[in-house]
Amino acid sequence: MNSVAVTGLGLATAHGDDPQAVFAALMRGESALRPVFADLPKPTVAATVAFDESRWFTKLQLAGVDRVSQLAVAAADLAMKDAKASGAVEPERIGVYVGCGMGGAASLELAYRNGSRVPPLTVPAFMPNAPAAHVAMRQRAQGPVLTYSVACASAAVAIAEAAKAVQCGEVDLAIAGGSEALIVPGVVLAWQALQTLATFQPGEAAHSVRPFSTDRTGFALGEGAAFLVLESAAHARRRGARTYAHLTGWGLSCDATHLTKPDVMGQARALRAALRRADLQPRDVDYCNAHGTATRIGDVIERDALAEVWGSHLDRLHVSSTKALHGHLLGAAGSLEAAITVLALCQRQMPPNAHCTEMDPACRLNLVTQAGTAAPELKAAISNSFAFGGTNAVLLFERA
Amino acid sequence: MSSLKELQDLIHEKYGIAASDLDPHASIREKGLDSLALVEFLFAVEDHFHISMPDADSNVDTLADLAVVVDRVRAAKTPA
Repeated sequence: MNSVAVTGLGLATAHGDDPQAVFAALMRGESALRPVFADLPKPTVAATVAFDESRWFTKLQLAGVDRVSQLAVAAADLAMKDAKASGAVEPERIGVYVGCGMGGAASLELAYRNGSRVPPLTVPAFMPNAPAAHVAMRQRAQGPVLTYSVACASAAVAIAEAAKAVQCGEVDLAIAGGSEALIVPGVVLAWQALQTLATFQPGEAAHSVRPFSTDRTGFALGEGAAFLVLESAAHARRRGARTYAHLTGWGLSCDATHLTKPDVMGQARALRAALRRADLQPRDVDYCNAHGTATRIGDVIERDALAEVWGSHLDRLHVSSTKALHGHLLGAAGSLEAAITVLALCQRQMPPNAHCTEMDPACRLNLVTQAGTAAPELKAAISNSFAFGGTNAVLLFERA
Repeated sequence: MSSLKELQDLIHEKYGIAASDLDPHASIREKGLDSLALVEFLFAVEDHFHISMPDADSNVDTLADLAVVVDRVRAAKTPA
């Protein structure tokens, strides 16, 4: 079976767009969460991207291009440049696989707020497959160009689907990841109404998300895009590409029980499927970048799912949720966290599970408690993404 | 009354295309304003002049053509 190599990383995130610098900031435990929309009735916190669109677009090219597509174009372009893959592959042999939960939220919000004067390009701006289409046009990718809207698992599903396409030879190169940009008042109010966002005292915004902690209160929204370049190991070798890591396992499952309530056995099925595909045992995996949204129920269910599969080996699995630092990127969470997992393998370091002052006994895990934790033995790691709708996606990477 | 100068300023402000770079009698499509950008530009023109552009004139191809249409609509709006 063809092994799938990760040969490029591209980020447009609140911690910046240089993957090594982003990873270093996470290793230091730097939170990108800040208060936003002070005029809303309830204060909220989010991670936003300091994004200079003029690096990728002329003013003319920005007509009808929502921020979610701008971030996608930037991150995908950085990934292709990082892989030195631009122009290296026949256009029709390149596929684009993009996770996106909500599409162009800012464009839709503007349409509502503008009274009867709805901008004429609102529809092409907010349609959820716009980011993938813009990436395809920019990179001249003429193979399958697909969008996966699977809530918080979108980007992880996109990467898994891309890996399958690479493995079975449907494409020679896949640009896979996700983009999300929904830090607008309407969306924030909707998430607040669902009672899932972290609450915080004045001055504590940066530390408001505390995964697996007894005092956790939920997550914060984050925006950004992250893309991986995937190709077969043989293809990467032939063109002399540098390989960050191998994507050797992926597992997809659905709880099929409840729209929003997570399920231990559903998550366990995805975890087992990823291990099986990689032909690894639980004890072979050293690190888990957890879904870890810091909701009351979600963290306990994820812990129980890991315990269900890891059994007596649970203590040797190091776990952290980096959402405490970069927020929840929803449709792009799976690809940012996959990139972080890949970088952890490359650097042999594990990012901390920040802000957890006291681990909830119901979430008993071997959490990475310290910033700057070295892991010289790190060989295999997983990234979990569990979605509303019940879809679970687990990606398993091994050191190159 | 010619709206050409204001249209040139508007296209400069919105898309960074200077008046000297855009011959009023040349096709604006050839300057990179594709059908989507043109639709968006016409929306901005409506906002700017507080007018409503007739749908039948969506085939205007040059800034001079557009100025003629805008002049006509504005004249029709102005009480004699």
